[in-house]
Amino acid sequence: MHTFLNVLGKELLSFFRSVMLVVVVLYSFTLDIYVAGEGIELKPRNVAVGYVDRSGGGMSQKILAKLRTPDFREPKRFLSQKALSQAIFNKEIMVGIVFGSDFEKNYRAGKKAQIDMLLDATAASQSLTTLFYLQNIVADFQSFNLPLRIKSHKLFNQNADNHSFMALTEMLSLITMLVVILTAIVFVKEKEEGTWDIMLLMPVNPKITILAKSFSQVLIVMMGVVLALGFVLFWKFNIPLNGSFWAFMLLTFLYAFSSAGIGLFVAAVSKDVMQVAQLSIIIMMPLIFLSGAWTPIYAMNPLFQILSLFSPLRYYIEGSESIFYRGTDFIDLLPYFGGVLILGVLLYWYGFQKIGKLF
Amino acid sequence: MSTLELKDVTVLYKKHIGIKSASFAAKSGEIIGFIGADGSGKSSLMHAIAGVIRFLGEISYKGTAYHSPKEAEKIKEYIALMPQGIGLVLYDTLSVGEHLDFFADIRNIKKDAKFKEYREKLLHMAGLSRFIDREARNLSGGMMQKLSLICTLLHRPKLLILDEPTTGVDPLSRLELWEILDSIRREEGTVILVSTAYMQEAAKMDRVLLFDDGEIIANGTTAELIDSIRPYVYKEDVCQSKSCLSFNKKSYSLENLNGAHSEPTLEGLFFVNALKTSKTLPKIERLERSQKVDLPEVVMEARDICKYFGGFIANEEIDMQLKRGEILGLLGANGAGKTTFIKMLLGLYPIDKGELTLLGKSIRSGKDRQSLKSKIGYVSQHFALYKDMTVRENLIYFANMHKIPLAVAIERIERYSQELGFARYMDELPTSLPLGVNQRFSIAAALLHEPVILFLDEPTSGVDAIARAQFWEILQKLKEEWGISILITTHYMSEAEYCDRVVLLKEGKKIADDTLEQLYSTHPNAKSFEDIFLSFYREKQG
Repeated sequence: MHTFLNVLGKELLSFFRSVMLVVVVLYSFTLDIYVAGEGIELKPRNVAVGYVDRSGGGMSQKILAKLRTPDFREPKRFLSQKALSQAIFNKEIMVGIVFGSDFEKNYRAGKKAQIDMLLDATAASQSLTTLFYLQNIVADFQSFNLPLRIKSHKLFNQNADNHSFMALTEMLSLITMLVVILTAIVFVKEKEEGTWDIMLLMPVNPKITILAKSFSQVLIVMMGVVLALGFVLFWKFNIPLNGSFWAFMLLTFLYAFSSAGIGLFVAAVSKDVMQVAQLSIIIMMPLIFLSGAWTPIYAMNPLFQILSLFSPLRYYIEGSESIFYRGTDFIDLLPYFGGVLILGVLLYWYGFQKIGKLF
Repeated sequence: MSTLELKDVTVLYKKHIGIKSASFAAKSGEIIGFIGADGSGKSSLMHAIAGVIRFLGEISYKGTAYHSPKEAEKIKEYIALMPQGIGLVLYDTLSVGEHLDFFADIRNIKKDAKFKEYREKLLHMAGLSRFIDREARNLSGGMMQKLSLICTLLHRPKLLILDEPTTGVDPLSRLELWEILDSIRREEGTVILVSTAYMQEAAKMDRVLLFDDGEIIANGTTAELIDSIRPYVYKEDVCQSKSCLSFNKKSYSLENLNGAHSEPTLEGLFFVNALKTSKTLPKIERLERSQKVDLPEVVMEARDICKYFGGFIANEEIDMQLKRGEILGLLGANGAGKTTFIKMLLGLYPIDKGELTLLGKSIRSGKDRQSLKSKIGYVSQHFALYKDMTVRENLIYFANMHKIPLAVAIERIERYSQELGFARYMDELPTSLPLGVNQRFSIAAALLHEPVILFLDEPTSGVDAIARAQFWEILQKLKEEWGISILITTHYMSEAEYCDRVVLLKEGKKIADDTLEQLYSTHPNAKSFEDIFLSFYREKQG
């Protein structure tokens, strides 16, 4: 216990002495999460629309008038389709609408009136959502008299707010990344600075050294999590907390240890901090891809769906969402805890063995 | 008229001064030597002359003056710089011949008959003619340095700047490097600036500049420099005042000691300068120890120890004994296998073959070592300590790891800091301290748990002359007052002088193992240890 506290204290001291690391961790748990939450936008916003109207106005202007701020900018008129295409090419316009000369005539005559649309499909989701919007606008002008109506109820996230959700996912991914990298660095820094040998020659149980070193980094990240929750998620994004805060902290703690296991493995095979960075990215990317952080699990290829069962991040994200949004009872969270715990123990054990061989 | 002239050249870094107002001049065909410890300003001045870093003041080469790297562009074709570090300019996977072609290409040299002839000559001088197809990674340290040198010579530079080309290189290759330099300056009239960590090489230089703490403290021929301190050097005497210090059978004093004078050495200049500027580290009066030392006759015995890295043999069948209360010096060039061997003794590398007995206990697994860890002290190469913790925090951490009760630890740390003279640096970070202070506090860290064997890996490398001298005094005191055994590695052949017994390694093999007296009596013609080892190297050549 004495040794454990001694190593723990030393690692915390070293961390707070190294300005760079403190800045990186602070930045990650505040600004980075804020930017991720604020910056990701799937709904159309400020979409630049251009149009060519040869129909002589009327219906065409009525449709254009439906494109309002803040979703769209004031539609900009072009005199020829060529000029419009050029503007799209130059990225000045994202969506171009062309009303042909017979558009008004055909519409009045009750024949098929056609609107041509040019979409910059490089901004895929935004332009496709815009297309969907326009179809709705057009549909509004056609009066089907069907006895059908949709009334939707948004559950768990009443404002259908993407921001708090994205920010939460970002924080969970960050925890993975930071625990892996920080844990690997505390060991690899000893290799780089040549203190590794001295550490090995200490008459102490190496298991305690490894445990204390990885625990110190888990502790640092836990502090970061509290910071991120307070300042960014609750304060800036108003994320609801329907479940137990302590359940989340416990889940985070268990998860951090499974990440620390990966960190130990990375430290065992890396020679310097540079290699740690490279290896961590290579190992973590699939974990994050397979976790459902970026693509919902049900939308994945069936093979990947099976593989995702092995990503501890999957259980962690699902568990955390349940705690924050659904307010799930502790009993029903057990599968998530189980997943994180089992994979965590396996990963930590493996990393521990791997680095332990070097002692 | 001088070819190269420096006027008040100063190199400033963000936090410290590299070199302060250096002025000197050099003629064609002259070899100017820069001698001094790490961080004394040699490299800074060389880089300024080569026009690769910013500096204040003026440098002129053949009448062309330059004040900045930009202005130096016009004379770059006449300059060649070989940076510090063995094989730094070489590429592992290129062969010797490919290196020469590559460097000729980047220097835009026409490959005509004249070039081919010159290339042959260089290869011959470096003794590399037979190894044209060998890849650089398979060359020895000495061969790498010779190859680096002839690559820098390819474009026939008129100003050759070499930063510690011989450090860590075996004595024979060092001799050959100097022969190449000597013939180049005679045939090409090249001005050669060369820095070195070895005092003995001063004899090969036309003029010597001594560097200390960012200043040139002396400039002249070896004979002139030695004469300049003659009045201060005496046969060993009892030093009473602060302006006196004794080392290696000589006493240096600014005041008259009334004793007989002794023949000074170049090293003495550093001692006298330190006395004049009163920059010496405090003297070590005594070292206390609380536990008694009880050692067997043979402390460590290694038999037929081997270490392989892939196909490379790092250590081949090495036998060695460390006796009670003995200082054993393990000498050899870089890459001779000294560090590998010490690491096997410590258990940091597994022993591939052979037997090891430590303190009467046969070592077969890591478990056998666990109980011995508290009896062994280790100072690693470059004094590796935690850089983000102060001296005091480092020492307390080490004491805690050795499970020394806090009260005892604090008392001991306080005492060592007084005895070893680093008390006033206790609350500073190791990176901000001079190497000599780091060396002292590293040894304090290794002594905290009062070990009975001390392993030291190149503890004197890069440290200035005085700190080195005083370090050897500490070791002598540890041996005499504590009675512990010490194993020390070094690439300074001259330091064999201070050991009881020396073992010489060459390319992983032991080529000599004897006491000092024995070595001197079998080599009656040797003037110094350098000569003795040279003869061993020659014997085992080929």
